[in-house]
Amino acid sequence: MPSFRICVLALLFSCSAADRAAGQERAYFVTYDHYLEEPGNLEVAIATTTGRPKNGHSVYTAPWVELEYGFTGWWTAELYLEGVTTRGEGNGFTGWRFESRFRPLKGEHGLNPVLYVEYENISEASRIQKEIVGAGPLPAGPIAELQAERAHELEGKLILSSVVGPWNVAENFIVERNLSASEGVEFGYSVGMSRAVGTLASGTSCHFCAENFVIGAEAYGGLGSTEGIAGGEQRHYLAPVLRWHVTARTTLKGSAAFGLTENSDRYLLRFGFAYR
Amino acid sequence: MRRRLACGSGLMLMLNVAITAQTVQIRQRDPGWSAPPGATSKANPLADRPEAAAGGRKLFLQRCSVCHGEDGRGAGRAPDLTAPDVQVQSDGALYWKITGGNTRGGMPTFSFLPELQRWQLVMHLRMLAPDSGSSR
Repeated sequence: MPSFRICVLALLFSCSAADRAAGQERAYFVTYDHYLEEPGNLEVAIATTTGRPKNGHSVYTAPWVELEYGFTGWWTAELYLEGVTTRGEGNGFTGWRFESRFRPLKGEHGLNPVLYVEYENISEASRIQKEIVGAGPLPAGPIAELQAERAHELEGKLILSSVVGPWNVAENFIVERNLSASEGVEFGYSVGMSRAVGTLASGTSCHFCAENFVIGAEAYGGLGSTEGIAGGEQRHYLAPVLRWHVTARTTLKGSAAFGLTENSDRYLLRFGFAYR
Repeated sequence: MRRRLACGSGLMLMLNVAITAQTVQIRQRDPGWSAPPGATSKANPLADRPEAAAGGRKLFLQRCSVCHGEDGRGAGRAPDLTAPDVQVQSDGALYWKITGGNTRGGMPTFSFLPELQRWQLVMHLRMLAPDSGSSR
C-alpha cells in the first residue's frame, strides 16, 4: 500500500510539472501508429482491460496508468504502472513497463517506420494485455500465487504506419524475450485501421461533432516462439475501436475485442481516458 | 520492495527533470526544411469557401496554439507564423509542412487530421498575417 501511495504522489508531481498541450491520441489500444507525443507534452492516461475467460475462471479487470512524454520530435517515452482485480481470485499491483519509441525518418513518407523498445518488470498476474505474444492461455489461479512469479522481459517492435486517403493503416511486428526464464523468443503482431468520422472542422465549439470521433478496428495476437509455433494454442482478437476527442485536452476511447481462438478470452472490454 | 521503489522513484525523477528542461527549450527554424516543387504548387480546395477558415481557427487553437501561441507569434516555444518568411510560402508548401511535420525540428506530424482540416489550418495561417489577404 505505501508503494501505491508513492506512485500516486509521483504521478501528481509529474502532472504538476507538465506543460499543457493538445495532440494526437491513437484510437487503438494495442496497435501503435507513427504519431509520437509532441515534444514537451506529457499525456496522462488511465485505462482498463476487462476480460472474461472461456475456461470458467473469474472475470478480471486490469487497470493501468500511462505517462507518455515527448522528449523530442523523434523520441517518445512511456511509463506504465499496472494492476489487476478479479472476482474471488484476489487483486494487486502487477508491475511496471518502460518503453521508448524512435522515429528514424524526418517527415511523412508512404510507409513510416518507428522502432519500439520496452522493458517490463511484471508478474504472471499481469492482465492488461497491451500486446499479446507467444502461445497458450493466460496463466490462471489466485492472484497472490501468480504475483510470486516475476518476469523481466525485453520487447521490440517494428511499427509501420501509413496514411491511405482518410485512413491510418498500421502494422506492428513484435518480438519479446523473457530474461527470467528460458522461453525462447516470442512473436506477436497487431494491425489496425482507423479514420476520422468528420472531414471538415466546424467553426464553433462542439463536443458531439463528427470531427471529434475516430472509428476503426484492430486485430492482434501471438505467433508462437522460437520453441514452436503452436498454432492451435495461440490467442487472437479482433476489436472495433472508437475514440472521442471530448475537449482539446481530453480523450475517451473504448474497444470490444472478440476472442477468435480457443485460448482467447471470450471478450476483452477496454476503456481509456487521456489528458494532455 | 525497496529496490522497486527506488527504481520507480528514479524514473519519475528523470521524467520531471526532462519535463522541466523541455519546457524552457525554444525551438528554432530549420533552414533546410522546404517543400518539394510538386507540393508547393498544390491549390487549396477550400479556396472558394472562406467560411471554412473559422474551423481552421478552432483547430489552430486546439492543436497549434500551445507552441505557436493563440496569435501565432510563437509564444517562446515555436517560430512566429506571422513572419514574412512564413507568409511568403505558398498554400501548398504550408499544407505540406503541416502534413509531414519536421521530427528533427520539433514540428509534429499532422497527417492524422483529415486532408480538408489541414487545408483549414492553412486558411487560418493566412488570417494571422499582419496584412491578411487572399490565398497564395
